[in-house]
Amino acid sequence: MAEIEFRGNTMNTGGNLPSVGAPAPDFSLTGDGLAPVSLGDFAGKRVVLNIFPSIDTATCATSVRTFNERAAGVGDTVVLCVSADLPFAAGRFCGDEGIENVSCASTFRSPEFYDAYGVQIVDGMLAGLCARAVVVIGADGIVAHSELVNPISDEPDYDAALGAL
Amino acid sequence: MAEIEDGEDIICTCGDLPAVGAPAPDFKLIGANMEPMSRGVFAGQRLVLNIFPSIDTETCAQSVRVFNEFVIGFYATTVLCVSADLPYAAKRFCGEEGIENVYTASTFRSPEFAEDYGVRMMNGPMEGLCARAVVVIDEDGRVVHRELVSPLHAEPDYGAALSAL
Repeated sequence: MAEIEFRGNTMNTGGNLPSVGAPAPDFSLTGDGLAPVSLGDFAGKRVVLNIFPSIDTATCATSVRTFNERAAGVGDTVVLCVSADLPFAAGRFCGDEGIENVSCASTFRSPEFYDAYGVQIVDGMLAGLCARAVVVIGADGIVAHSELVNPISDEPDYDAALGAL
Repeated sequence: MAEIEDGEDIICTCGDLPAVGAPAPDFKLIGANMEPMSRGVFAGQRLVLNIFPSIDTETCAQSVRVFNEFVIGFYATTVLCVSADLPYAAKRFCGEEGIENVYTASTFRSPEFAEDYGVRMMNGPMEGLCARAVVVIDEDGRVVHRELVSPLHAEPDYGAALSAL
């Protein structure tokens, strides 16, 4: 369980991010076109999980744009933007914005993701949504970097995430 | 359990809509500004629940626009558009479209809504989302009209819903 700040209030998450050096928990989320997306789909690739509350809020949207730009030239790496947004919201956003270098995946059908990654906000105004976090998973499936962003309105540390690749 | 046509396929829901004449199950949903939405908030009002899979799909969006126009002529009547969309998606949509006469209410924190109203889709591409349905509740909390829309992509029978008021 971790504390994060939102507009001067403290909120709690339901668990902790997976530790650096530990195997990344598998997951099954719902991606573009309502297709299932699991960690196993990216075997042999490095995976950046850009986790956030909602793509329809400014900081989350900025993080999608930033990873879309900065991940473009990085080889053998997949960026997956994970939130409780429905796939329709993510599809609309990425279509409107020309986002092509990252994919989106929804937790709407997969509450177990929250426990596996410890990112569910359990109280306060944002209860039920994902906290803002980045988890970088190596090609060997081991967590190479993790960041729980605090306060939640900050952007993630893109340099630290990309530097772990 | 009820069935919905989707092309050649049949989608099953988890239960049945509340019966006409029965008390409407209470609910606790989240509005566009993250505020609680329950029957009690609208005491003394007749409620039209316009339930659907996602506001970011065309038929659902159209139903929001139509109810937004129709409800103007009805005294003591509130339309709640209910889906698993996050409140941010609903707020964006209503802001862009100038929707001001209906409310949106998200099930993201309240999976029991889809159970209590029997609308969770159990299979098919939209598994886990709400089926398209309309439930009209009178000021005493009794169901006076219900429609589970089939086929999936048809619009609800607006006339039937409004003539129940």
